[in-house]
Amino acid sequence: MPTVTIDGRRVTVREGAYVLEAARLAGARIPALCHHEAVEPIGACRLCVVDIWKPGWDADSFRLVASCLYPVEEGLVVHTATPRVMETRRVALDLLLARCPETPLVRDLAREYGIEETTYRKRENPDDCILCGLCTRICDKVGPAAISTQSRGVLREVAPPFFEAPPDCIGCGACAEVCPTGHIKVTEDGFTRTIWGKTFEMLRCPSCGRAYLTRAQAEWMAGRGMPVEPLCDSCKRRRTAEVAASLGRPR
Amino acid sequence: MDPVAVDLAPLDGILARYPAEESSLIQVLQDVQRHYRYLPRPALERVAKALGVPLARVCSVATFYKAFSLVPPGEHVVHVCMGTACHIRGAPQVLDELWRRIAPDANGDTADRRFTIKAVNCVGACAAAPVVIVDGRYHGGVQATKVAKVVGLEEGGRAS
Repeated sequence: MPTVTIDGRRVTVREGAYVLEAARLAGARIPALCHHEAVEPIGACRLCVVDIWKPGWDADSFRLVASCLYPVEEGLVVHTATPRVMETRRVALDLLLARCPETPLVRDLAREYGIEETTYRKRENPDDCILCGLCTRICDKVGPAAISTQSRGVLREVAPPFFEAPPDCIGCGACAEVCPTGHIKVTEDGFTRTIWGKTFEMLRCPSCGRAYLTRAQAEWMAGRGMPVEPLCDSCKRRRTAEVAASLGRPR
Repeated sequence: MDPVAVDLAPLDGILARYPAEESSLIQVLQDVQRHYRYLPRPALERVAKALGVPLARVCSVATFYKAFSLVPPGEHVVHVCMGTACHIRGAPQVLDELWRRIAPDANGDTADRRFTIKAVNCVGACAAAPVVIVDGRYHGGVQATKVAKVVGLEEGGRAS
């Protein structure tokens, strides 16, 4: 397992880890908006930039990389808050703020880096989407791949096919769950869940009666031979705890 | 969506040419675009099923590339090259003149469906700048004063 130095602290991390994971393990505070443990990194938001140095390089030769997708290797030296790292993050945040001038998460992060208002031209009719791609990646990972980015450049946006209620969506809500800014809206009324303009019937937990799963998701999972948990998450936890308690203290 | 029902029979032949896998997607879409002159929605849905690619990804690819269009083009498609060489030799004036003469909507389509105008980047014929392509045929040295003739709005042009 490689040992790397993060801001002067040596940490040993698992083989195949990326620098961001190692840095957070070492206690460094690195912002990242497009990162999630459940999906592969894509380095879209550029906020997690750090300076790296490798054995064999000139002593003053550092390189700026996105830590979320730079793999660790033995002897790597990482600085997470050099002046140029901070400046690069400021530029990225300034640009994000131009795209999403009213989004609380972006505003808060920008303020942490000393930016109150963007120095660029604000996007007209802005929404809260920063195009981090977490929603589309998690949807691919779950399986349906019901949404994706459409068009490119300044016109690029996350949307279902033909901008209509997505036929492949199972209403699992994972996209809304991972969305860092709350751009993806999901509404529930106890009987139905509506997301991406599509309304789903909810199944109820037989134990507590809470609506916890869409029928579409249960059927989708059953159709793939995946076990469909008949209890909601909190009842499942309680049951597990009860089972554990009934077994008594392990020796 | 589509004004007339699309005949999907030609898709069988196109799909038969490539292995039924995700990596065939762009080639299939190119052939579909060539056949229909755009990507009809029912064709995209069929392609998604046939190749086992999620429809959302098919749409993502179809909307990413400039070579694909989701709407049928006009009878004549006019590409005005806006590459560097064409630009300095007057392409913006050529485009302005064409735009003024045929008054298309923001997408470059005329209401009578006769023309679709597209401003494109370098088409690789810089020596002939400024270049205008009408229905795939390249015309070099097209100045603003000549463009109406080249696209067939005036006597002596090709398209009509």
